[in-house]
This record gives sequence, C-alpha cells and structure tokens, in this order.
Amino acid sequence: MTCDARGWHAALVPDTLLNPPDRARAALPDVLSILETCGYGVLQLPPTGEHGMLLAVIADQVAEYAHHGYAVVAVGVRGESRGLHWRRLAPLLRHRGVALPPRYLIRPEGDAAAEAERFALFLSGYDLPVEEQRRWRV
Amino acid sequence: MTHAIERKIPAVEADAPRKVALIAHCLLNQNAKVCEGARYRGVVSPVVEALRRRGYLLVQLPCPELAFAGARRWWAVYEQYDTPAYRAHCRRLAQGIAPLIEQYLRRGDEVILIGLDGSPSTGVRFTSSKPDWGGRPNRPDDDWDIVARRGVWIEELEAELKRRGLPPLPATGWALDMGRFDEAGSRRDLEEFLESREVAAGEHGDDSAP
Repeated sequence: MTCDARGWHAALVPDTLLNPPDRARAALPDVLSILETCGYGVLQLPPTGEHGMLLAVIADQVAEYAHHGYAVVAVGVRGESRGLHWRRLAPLLRHRGVALPPRYLIRPEGDAAAEAERFALFLSGYDLPVEEQRRWRV
Repeated sequence: MTHAIERKIPAVEADAPRKVALIAHCLLNQNAKVCEGARYRGVVSPVVEALRRRGYLLVQLPCPELAFAGARRWWAVYEQYDTPAYRAHCRRLAQGIAPLIEQYLRRGDEVILIGLDGSPSTGVRFTSSKPDWGGRPNRPDDDWDIVARRGVWIEELEAELKRRGLPPLPATGWALDMGRFDEAGSRRDLEEFLESREVAAGEHGDDSAP
C-alpha cells in the first residue's frame, strides 16, 4: 500500500437519515449519497432507544478523530431531536474534552433538491483550520 | 468517486420482514482505516450501492481497532490482536450491538453480515496472519500471509450472537485488506453473495433464517 485516500471528514448521522422510513423518503435528500460525494465518512448513530454502550463508543471515536486532525460534523433532522441522541451524546463528548461538532439540521419540509444543495454546500465548506490540517494530514 | 449511490425504494408494510445488512465500520467510514489503508475518501460506494440497490437497510458495526488502539495505530496481524484485553474489548462491543441485531432477527428480518476480508479484526473469509510480527514496525509490504479464518472481532461478535441463541448470519467480506485490492473482483464476489441470498430467500419463501 502506498497511498491513502481518506477524506479526513466524518459525519454523525442518525439511523433515520441512513435508512429513512418509506413515508419520509420523498421529503428528505439522499443524505448518504451527498456525504459520499462530499468525501465524508459516516458514523451511524443507533436507532432511538437505550444504547448507552454504543453511544459511548461513538463518543470515543469522535474524540479520537477530533484530537487527530479530522473534521467532524453532526447531521440531524429539524424538529426531530432524538435521532442524534444529542442529549446523551453531548455530555459524553464534553467529558472527553471534545468541542461539540457543528450541526446541520435537514429541513424535511419544502424542496428536497434545494435542501440537498444547501446540505452539500455546508459539507463542502467545513474544515479545520489550515494549521491543524498541516499538523496531522501528512 | 463522485457518482450518486442509487437508492431503491421498497414499498413494504411497516411490519413486513426487512433486509438488513450489518456492515464493517470502515465500509461507511474509511477514516477508520489504519494509515495507508484507505482506498476511498469516506464511503465505500460499490458496497453501499450494491446493498441499497437490493433494498437492504444499513447497520454500521463499531470499529474495534479505532476504539482500542486509536486513529494512529500501527498495522497489525491477527496474532497481535489475539490478546485477552482486545478480545474483552470486542466482547464488550458485541454486547453493545447484539441487542440491536437480536431485535432484527426476532422480528423476522433477513440479516446479513459484510465484513472486511484480510482484516485482523473484521475478516470474514480471510484474515491476515504472521505469528512472528512484533517489535519495531519495519516489515516490508506484503510480508504477511492471508489465511482462511475470521478476524478477532467477527469471532467475538459471532460468539455473542451464539450465546444469545441466535442463528449464524450469512456473511461475506469485501476484500479490501488482502494486500492487492481488486475492486472488480470484490464487486463480483459481493454480487454473487447477494444473489445467493435472494435465491435462498426465494427457496424459503419469505423465511429469513440462514
């Protein structure tokens, strides 16, 4: 192996956005395709419910990325706060010394194509400061 | 890789059995790979594309190596991860994800597992082996062997599912860590596996048991 293609970007994504229920599909942009196109890796959050262990592992992973030059964002759905497990996840991240990642909330009402464009713009526009990139991404 | 991933939209009733693919963490997130091991920027699109085209829900497994040894870990082979501490870590992760898998199986969903062949942790058909690896990490490329066995994480995950009385999952691996990666061959393998699942599902009606 001689080269490495990683994009140095990852997104926390609720299960409902990766596997949207049938009734919601038409109203939502295809989040996974947009993340793929923008070079983001996915950190899938578990479905709603008690998943303390999985959330702790995800928080460990976000901490590892945040401390080593990776740009991490969180993606949710406006008006649907449970999918991101934010109330559980935010304290876990703070406890690990991680600044909360910027959040983008998908707007399920309105034009899905326009929302897809806004989302892609957000993803493409986000990165760590240049000095932080230079430090790690060699 | 910038092509959009085709999404099949199955029209199913809410309680109808679903097709669920448990996939190795790094198939959705190449940032988890060991240094020089990432072949894609983020999502391994051929795998995701094949699964979504056939209507599978995606469930990402945790990455045991990243959580255990960090983002800047050295390359390793099966024998180096075959330790009591790493196995205990994998068991803990397995206990975290197993209830979710159990839910899918108990409601009659068809559940498959797509690992990462050649990986010391997530290998399904093959893992990497070199019993004498250790010490200073100065081995040349391709110095390890590929052997037909599970990786440590998959062994522990399967053991946990068995402890819960769940059936073995039909499984295959995307051959990313086999030394020389052959994407076209990997695609063929995956399609054949998915095709075989459809044939099996057809033979058993809607029964999802492997």
